[in-house]
Amino acid sequence: MLVGIQLEDRQTRTSVPFEVVEEMAGYLQAVALRRCQRSFSKLFSHFAPRLRSYALKQMGNEAQAMELVQETLANVWQKAHLFDVDKGTPSTWIFTIARNIRFDMLRKQRNRKEDICSEDLWPVLCEQTASPGEISLDHQMTLQQVGVLFESLPEKQRLVIEAIYIEGKSQQEVADDLEIPLGTVKSRTRLALQRLKEMLDQDD
Amino acid sequence: MIKLHPSYAQLERYVEGSCNAGEGLIVSAHLDMCLQCRSKVTEMENSLADKMLANQVPLDPAYAEMCRKIVELPAEIGGTPALHQTLELDGRQFTLPRALRRYASQINGWSHMVGKLWQARVDLGIDGRADFIYMEKGGSVPEHTHRGSELTLVLDGEFSDGLRDYDTGDFILCDGRHTHMPHTDADEGCLVFSIVDQPLHFTSGLARLLNPFSHLFFK
Ligand SMILES: [Zn+2]
Repeated sequence: MLVGIQLEDRQTRTSVPFEVVEEMAGYLQAVALRRCQRSFSKLFSHFAPRLRSYALKQMGNEAQAMELVQETLANVWQKAHLFDVDKGTPSTWIFTIARNIRFDMLRKQRNRKEDICSEDLWPVLCEQTASPGEISLDHQMTLQQVGVLFESLPEKQRLVIEAIYIEGKSQQEVADDLEIPLGTVKSRTRLALQRLKEMLDQDD
Repeated sequence: MIKLHPSYAQLERYVEGSCNAGEGLIVSAHLDMCLQCRSKVTEMENSLADKMLANQVPLDPAYAEMCRKIVELPAEIGGTPALHQTLELDGRQFTLPRALRRYASQINGWSHMVGKLWQARVDLGIDGRADFIYMEKGGSVPEHTHRGSELTLVLDGEFSDGLRDYDTGDFILCDGRHTHMPHTDADEGCLVFSIVDQPLHFTSGLARLLNPFSHLFFK
């Protein structure tokens, strides 16, 4: 019933030389830090002809291709500070911006009422990238305070919380120890933390 | 432990931006939860970028003008703000994957369905229908099959459907080949996000009586 597919490599890289990557990353940094127009024009000469090739293939007409190139490079100029050299190369970053703009352009063209926009799908220009959600305890809440309230937790939740917060085990270790799925450990943790929080709120 | 991931073809469509909006959204939510697929997608983006930006078409003079205009634009400090929206149901709060956070605020309340099920429709404006579905402990969806396809992402908890077990983060594709009856015995119940493009088709017992009304039930 399922698609539990083993992931595999099917594409080989047509690699961009390392020096070019470094050079472009340097220009992006100069734009981000100093609004350096000379650096931007270097980026423009390198990427505009490439983006134009991509855009012509994707959009099929000159006017829209130009709009796509312009929007993409305007974003590069205005949001260069969002480029993170540790996360990828300049060409990947710029390509993903173009891909997103293309997606939004085609969406508008179809005049659909779709509420989904490209930043929901691909958070390229987002300040913070996603981290799988964990609810964290407020800083002022100490283990001792929590400890007092332990007794009122359901036993299953208490065991999990004790193992993680007192014995310092990972959620996976707890799952293995108790022979329950990791998802259950996670939700028990979450439920227990929530409950504790509620109790503390009532104490105030 | 996540065992079920989007297919290579689904990731490929996502990376290219050729996916439809619904599929893209649910794949994106899975990526928020799955490190393995996220690093795979990063690799795919790298090689696709190299491939797509390998060729060049020379610029005409209009582009010089474009470049001049762009540098007149002000810097835009501050990207899209990160949302910290949670989903509330029955006194519980669920932290959602980033991709779905914006939609949690657009829910017009939960409706209580048969079989200890809660359902909250999300209007994405796409073909088909998107819902958050919460199964309480012991809850189940009547046995059904699919006329179209159903994409499901397990957001919290776990469930089984008579065919196998699913855990938080699992990405599940069902279509007409699959007849199943999702249910959960987990104390904490199970929250999923699902997108179907056609109404479900109920296959057993009294639930068959639901078929004429399945558009009211799961579209
Ligand atoms: Zn995955």
